[in-house]
Amino acid sequence: MRILAEGEAPYLAVDPDGFRAFVRDHKQRALKPKLMSAHDAISRFVADGDYFVFDCNYFQRGPSTLVREVIRQGKRDLWLCGKFSYVDVGLLVGAGCVSRIDCGFFWPGATIDRAVADGRVRVFEYSNVVMTLRLQAGAMGLPFLPVRSFGGTDGFRHSGAKLVEDPFTGQPITLAPALNPDVAIIHVQQADVYGNARVFGTGIAHQESALASKKVIVSAEEIIDTEEIRRDPGRTSVPYYAVDAVVHAPFGAWPGNCGGYYGSDTPAVIETFAAIARDRVSEYVEKHVAPFADDAAMFDALVGQERLEKLRAAETITEGYRP
Amino acid sequence: MSRGDGTVAAGTPASSFNEREMQICTVARMVEDERTYWVAGGGGPMYAVLLAIRLYAPGAQYITEDGVIAPEPLLPFEPVMTMVSSRAGYRALAWGTMNTAGNHAQLGLMDYGLLNTLQVDQHGNINSTAIGTYGERARRFGGPGGADSIAALCWRTVLMTDQEKRKFVERVDFISSPGFLDGTEGARERAGLPPGTGPHRVVTPWAMYDYTTDRRLRLAARAPWVTVEQILAECEYPPVVADEVGVLSGPTEEELQILRSELDPRGQNTGERSAWVVFDGETYTRAAG
Repeated sequence: MRILAEGEAPYLAVDPDGFRAFVRDHKQRALKPKLMSAHDAISRFVADGDYFVFDCNYFQRGPSTLVREVIRQGKRDLWLCGKFSYVDVGLLVGAGCVSRIDCGFFWPGATIDRAVADGRVRVFEYSNVVMTLRLQAGAMGLPFLPVRSFGGTDGFRHSGAKLVEDPFTGQPITLAPALNPDVAIIHVQQADVYGNARVFGTGIAHQESALASKKVIVSAEEIIDTEEIRRDPGRTSVPYYAVDAVVHAPFGAWPGNCGGYYGSDTPAVIETFAAIARDRVSEYVEKHVAPFADDAAMFDALVGQERLEKLRAAETITEGYRP
Repeated sequence: MSRGDGTVAAGTPASSFNEREMQICTVARMVEDERTYWVAGGGGPMYAVLLAIRLYAPGAQYITEDGVIAPEPLLPFEPVMTMVSSRAGYRALAWGTMNTAGNHAQLGLMDYGLLNTLQVDQHGNINSTAIGTYGERARRFGGPGGADSIAALCWRTVLMTDQEKRKFVERVDFISSPGFLDGTEGARERAGLPPGTGPHRVVTPWAMYDYTTDRRLRLAARAPWVTVEQILAECEYPPVVADEVGVLSGPTEEELQILRSELDPRGQNTGERSAWVVFDGETYTRAAG
């Protein structure tokens, strides 16, 4: 295949055979309970230097409790899949957890500007869809997928994509390198103890992220019985054998919205934006993360049951979110 | 039903409004009935398409980047909760994911893309990544998000931006999302993008632009309270000027009533820093912004 142009950025090595071997050796085939605390899940399955994908984001059915736990444990040198992200990238950068970012979209601000200017963080350029397509390729066990966007942009030049002559049509086509992250964290509405997980509502790439990643942590609003899963198997978004850890995390997407469960906590959302914009992430961490053993303690101290119940009551829409 | 080129509005001319409202109303009148729109999450594009569906194009449908197809959202949105949120996805016909949106546009199902941008150039290229010299001294912005796919894959792309000198340039500092690239014939196809797609219109609070047959930005219409000279003074690189520059209609009371009371009652989008304009029945007068 003739290469017509190629991006110049480093990208996570493409190794579908290596990923298959990892899956063969490490993915649990037996139905074994995987329920554990956020602390144990992050401590066991997130390592310094990992390529790290989170699905959705800190405000929109994202794994916010798990992101806070990553910060709490001071993970370092992560390479972020920065697709469809508002403040997650800024929080993790500001907390010193990040060395590289593949950018689809993240909320910019002083925190990221300073980290990039100081040379602590490097950014490589993609788009949201190109990142979810890379995950799709990884989730299919393929080395790449073609895409009819992204070519001709400056992002392409600062990426790992290539423009080639399509051997079937003879036309130019962009190839996006497959992505098999080391670890994925995903927040869902319901899961059983084995990791059969249900996402209600739209999403970004929860299925792709789960299947493409070596280690997968699912946090769930509710832990449900496996009999319930079996009663409605079409509802299973991610099957158990992709999942390594299940965390029961009520309000695990706070301060965001979790469809069918609770609305967003607007003052807390604005407070998080402000931390990124003004480069005050360390103050944010000092307030929301560092003093507490886990999110339950943080909710008790900073939010309170009454406020959480109000957020629950504010979520009046149930259509599509209840089996 | 559609107002076509945005220059004509049916209704009672509004006596007082701001320029952000003007921009949204102009785009709303351009929305074609029974067409599909891939709309950037939040901001002007989403309010424009929602206003159009209420008033001019009840059969227009839209999708967002998280794979929401043809929703009837529960308004108003909470701040930033315009995607992957229960209110934004309410009463949709289908729910998917980001690859759903990307694939459907790649199949040719999306007639129009509707976007905001930081900077646009004479060939309709879009920058949302960095202002300045990339990699050296640049101010970093968020990146293309979904805009690269929208601009590459929808049949026609409509951009919304502010009428400011630094936003209309000869060449954007960074092509985050493609316009006509270097402007030569076939440049998009040579880059692997599907044929027959590309930039269609740019709308600011003061003006509407289209493109010449040789793919250059052209000033096509102006707001009634500004002159062509004033618009050109707010373009770092001068666009082509149409032989006859049309005059856009100001917002109508009907448009503003829906925008203010139903779509954005908190003024989250339209309340932000934009100048006010008053209309005394004959003349529009712009207050200092």
